[in-house]
Amino acid sequence: MLLSILEQGLIYGILALGLLITYRILDFPDLTVDSSFPLGAAVSAVLTLAGMPPVLTLLCAILSGALAGLITGLIHVKCHVRDLLSGIITMTGLYSVNLNIAGKANVPLFSGDTLFKNAFTKSLPDFLRPYSTLLIILLIALCAKLALDWFLSTKAGFLLRAVGDNPAVVTTLAQDQGRVKILGLMIANALVALAGAVMAQQQRFFEISMGTGAMVIGLASVIIGTNLFHRFSFLRSTTMALIGSILYKACVALALQIGLDASFMKLVTAVLFLIILVSSQFTRKKVHIRV
Amino acid sequence: MKKLFSMILSLALVLALCPTAMADTLHIGISQFAVHGSLDNCVQGFKEGLAEEGFVEGENIVFDLQNANADTGIAAQIADRFVNGHYDLICAVATPVAMSCFNAAQDREIPVIYTAVSDPVAAQLANADGSNPGEVTGTSDALPVEAQLKLIRALQPDATRIGILHTTSETNSDSSLATYQALAPEYGFTIVDKGISTGADIPLALEALLPQVDCTTNLTDNTVVQSLPLVLEMSAEAGKPVYGSEIEQVRLGCVASEGIEYLELGRQTGRMAARVLKGEAKASEIPFEIISNSYLYINEEALAQYGLSVPEALVSRAISVTMDE
Repeated sequence: MLLSILEQGLIYGILALGLLITYRILDFPDLTVDSSFPLGAAVSAVLTLAGMPPVLTLLCAILSGALAGLITGLIHVKCHVRDLLSGIITMTGLYSVNLNIAGKANVPLFSGDTLFKNAFTKSLPDFLRPYSTLLIILLIALCAKLALDWFLSTKAGFLLRAVGDNPAVVTTLAQDQGRVKILGLMIANALVALAGAVMAQQQRFFEISMGTGAMVIGLASVIIGTNLFHRFSFLRSTTMALIGSILYKACVALALQIGLDASFMKLVTAVLFLIILVSSQFTRKKVHIRV
Repeated sequence: MKKLFSMILSLALVLALCPTAMADTLHIGISQFAVHGSLDNCVQGFKEGLAEEGFVEGENIVFDLQNANADTGIAAQIADRFVNGHYDLICAVATPVAMSCFNAAQDREIPVIYTAVSDPVAAQLANADGSNPGEVTGTSDALPVEAQLKLIRALQPDATRIGILHTTSETNSDSSLATYQALAPEYGFTIVDKGISTGADIPLALEALLPQVDCTTNLTDNTVVQSLPLVLEMSAEAGKPVYGSEIEQVRLGCVASEGIEYLELGRQTGRMAARVLKGEAKASEIPFEIISNSYLYINEEALAQYGLSVPEALVSRAISVTMDE
């Protein structure tokens, strides 16, 4: 059970890293996520079926996600559409794109090799094999986290953080705010698409509906992570997002464990979400992004 | 407040890690994709089928029934839960959860018995030659398309064009539609299909579709079926009968249907699971089954509304149902 919580938690943790950028750093409610998650999955699934090595399909998924973020960014910055709406527009359009990329609503990957089931993982010694899936996911999640940590410490990353916190600083530095926002959205959705691709590889199928609620899961993870652990000053925000995602999945596992009536599942998520948000208002002034 | 939270969350983790195994009883995990009348019937039928074979709930068998709420992420967690709990058998109801369960159980020697999977071959839960790719088998709820076409021919001898509304995101609809398109010419029909992406598209799609056809027939398309009252109302105005794909739809006002009984499908699945549990056969050795019996349901009130009558040859097996009030 712990293994499965960690696997699922880390996959959605990559998604949470993306939402950390849009929600926490840019303060941008980005609904593109609900479609860029399955976009990454569709790209990865279709390319895997076409014979591309699964690892390379992840890179393609990242690019596709960045493209989705670029579109949302352009709609928002260049066409002056409100943040929420520009995400909704991209999300809506991407649904058709996803369906056409995949060719159908559900694409199974059971017959061929995937990232987690191939000659390499089969050749691992017996004691390692049960953990191979987790290890691969951990590797990808850590790479994503470290890359994001590194980026946030660069000059471009500093500007990104400034756009959310204090846009005036960016303008003072003679930088274009819009361009920084677009960059942030691209990175965020690239991470989300990567999560979708890893999910498709792990569950070995693409399903058009797999993005439903992705944003809520990611958001809940970021909020759980950053609100619960903001006192632990040695933890970076990216680490908190990953832990938050694992805790979120643990809550789902608990709900399954106690046999919660399925029809209440979403309501419980909503209540949990609300409690964490409200409780954190009493204890904090503002949680700063920490890198 | 915060401390309380950390405590609740840690408790959550600890509880989630507790094993649930008990000795001497068989543990069956049932993963159901969504809350849905037909799928509920499948689950009930599955339990009945097992009970017929001597596996009675509470006596020698324990069910862990979980519903994924149409969320593939949760479906994966449910599957992992069953596999990590070393359950004796997993029953997966509907395609997405069947895929999740097969994925989780494949290398762990836990048999997966699926039901309500329209096209096991397309989902790669069965190979093209009908054999199974692992310890997985089950029953398919493929529509009895041929029987339905015969029915439409019998009720509307002059009809040539059948309209079908389907949701582009539902794979079960894709495969049923393909079957309709392949078989329709044999019975002198042309299929006119309109794809929609959400329930909100139905009025416009139907308005475009109805003038082109003599009647419409439903698939087991969830989005369309959920909007059935609207479909029926618009069709009635246009004077085009609607044929259903299962009893519930006829009850709501479709003229007739050759449909399968999900309760029966579930029972068939339960008996299949019993064979595996008794050790008579391994799941991999049992080919997947398509339910063979279709039942003819008619709604006399709706038939009269369109001036249709059931020919003598069919009257004997027609089961009349009435509209729900």
